[in-house]
Amino acid sequence: MGKSAVHGLERLNDLYNRKESVAKEYRKQGKKIIGYLCYFAPPELISAAGMVPYRIMGRMDDEIIQAHNYVEPLGCPFIRNCFEQDLKGNLDFLDGRIIPHSCDTAQRLYGIWKYYKSASYNYCLNVPHKVTPWSRDFFKRELHFFKESLEKYGGVEITDEALRNAIRLYNENRAMVRELYDLRKEQPPRLSGSDMFKTLIVGMAIPPEEFNALLKEILAEVKNRPRGGEMLPRILFWGCIIDDARLFELIEESGSWIVSDDTCIGTKSYLRRIDTSHGLMEGLAKGYFEEFRCPRTDRGPDIHRFDYVLDLVREYDVQGVIGYTLSFCDPFKLDYPDMRDYLSENEIPMLLIDDDYSLSHLESIRTRVEAFIEILE
Amino acid sequence: MRYAAGLDIGSKSTKLVFLGQDQIAGYYVIPTGGNSSKAGEKILELGLSDRHLGQDDISFLVATGYGRHSVESAKKVSEISCQARGIRSLFPEAVVIIDIGGQDFKVIKLKKEGTILSFAMNEKCAAGTGRYLELMADIFDMNLNTFAKAGDTASDGVEISSVCTVFAETEVISHISRGAEEKEIISGIFTAVSKRVYSLAQRFIGDAKSVVFTGGVAMNMGVAKALERVTGCDIQIPAEPQISAALGAAMIAREQMPDPEKGD
Repeated sequence: MGKSAVHGLERLNDLYNRKESVAKEYRKQGKKIIGYLCYFAPPELISAAGMVPYRIMGRMDDEIIQAHNYVEPLGCPFIRNCFEQDLKGNLDFLDGRIIPHSCDTAQRLYGIWKYYKSASYNYCLNVPHKVTPWSRDFFKRELHFFKESLEKYGGVEITDEALRNAIRLYNENRAMVRELYDLRKEQPPRLSGSDMFKTLIVGMAIPPEEFNALLKEILAEVKNRPRGGEMLPRILFWGCIIDDARLFELIEESGSWIVSDDTCIGTKSYLRRIDTSHGLMEGLAKGYFEEFRCPRTDRGPDIHRFDYVLDLVREYDVQGVIGYTLSFCDPFKLDYPDMRDYLSENEIPMLLIDDDYSLSHLESIRTRVEAFIEILE
Repeated sequence: MRYAAGLDIGSKSTKLVFLGQDQIAGYYVIPTGGNSSKAGEKILELGLSDRHLGQDDISFLVATGYGRHSVESAKKVSEISCQARGIRSLFPEAVVIIDIGGQDFKVIKLKKEGTILSFAMNEKCAAGTGRYLELMADIFDMNLNTFAKAGDTASDGVEISSVCTVFAETEVISHISRGAEEKEIISGIFTAVSKRVYSLAQRFIGDAKSVVFTGGVAMNMGVAKALERVTGCDIQIPAEPQISAALGAAMIAREQMPDPEKGD
């Protein structure tokens, strides 16, 4: 990316505001940019094939208009918005597109997307919906098919050495993100939840080695900050995909710190490393399927499936949980009552914000968030 | 004598309460109109001149309601906390509060000691709010008072099934065209509002025997009676339901005032 005059969080904000144009610059250098929707397609494999992985994101402030011609409105608004962005030409820099069967809307959109606006590479990754030793092996096999398909498209061989190197780079990302999360255990934290979130968003739009460089700068800057911000209630953020920092900013402006989360662009993806001691693909299958706690994967009805959230609450000294669900997102919406009751039994209050991936009623959300924080004070 | 002031800038009307040491020293209600910051200034001018007071006589101001962030000089507190404070001062035993305002309705559950246990608000839809009732009154070409009286019955009225304001309007018009009695239709509208609110409130009410009903819509006795039928609870209503959140704001403001005993 060349030498840039700005560093750390300033550079982060710049990258956050123009992540698409950054991807376009890599494309100009002759790199193939491969978009992936959702977490289940390991970017390690894309990187190991010499391509740039780019997590497909929507634009919350952009109304869905064209996508209505292809997808009925009674489906996930996030996925419809991503499709809308491609229809408007905002994702034209993507050479390929990988859509895992994370949920039914995603899987069905794959067909519609490929039919009406095919990329030069399209792939639908099969992800089982229940965790068992057999489904883990099945997913591992699927990852092999995915690898073969990338090799065929790129005309390259993904060697074990290249994959091991890619996993190492991503594990370095994860280690530094964990270090930033650890710094947020301080009261008051020296890094806001909004800045942390923006960091992770940018990390999903640039190559892992570039993200490592950025994380180093941010870590150095945050560690150099003097301690002693405002003492405010500490929040954990839970819920559906969100890829816009405005809600995080609103929650923190209302007088709180977001110190941890249980979201896919957050602790779900970054707190664990990929363990390759039992093989590369075995490590990916474990990290991207077996241990990846998205409610789209059935882990049985036992309420103790949420124990890990309570662990986060204790570890980060959290006073309240703010949840975010998207219209028609059954996996999260059906988990919510159990999650709320489980937290309530443990005397942790929870506020739910239900949205259609637009944040169009931000002022009404503000009233709820402020009242919730007043309860915590 | 210096006063604490509570200012509640709602979507429909703006309310102001002056609080002395022990009691309400004055309260005002004006329409909010299109500019919440101007409405705040206007009502403060009105209140001060009515009481022959200057700015200095107000020792602390708390603003609440949708327009609270437009009042720079005030401490801002959400209307949920203010409503809880105001209602507890009027009904010390209150556990469940139903607040129906211009563009939303809220249900607040209090702990025994009066702090908030939990709350819920309607999502972005006007069904079951004051605005919904205004639209319905327009169909019958009635003002809100006449409309409230017309539906003040002991009957559930005709069935209005839709929860959407726009579709409910269509339903009402079809009842009119097939010649249903006016008061039966209006009672039906009030029952529909109550059911809508109850769907959110049910979880909070639990086995509570009574519910406090406040906000501008609580001036409508027809809705209050329908709410009583639908929830099966006693409905308690403040004498001035429009100002209970502003009263709570004023109480929070009074806490911020220097203690007169200490003389500063």
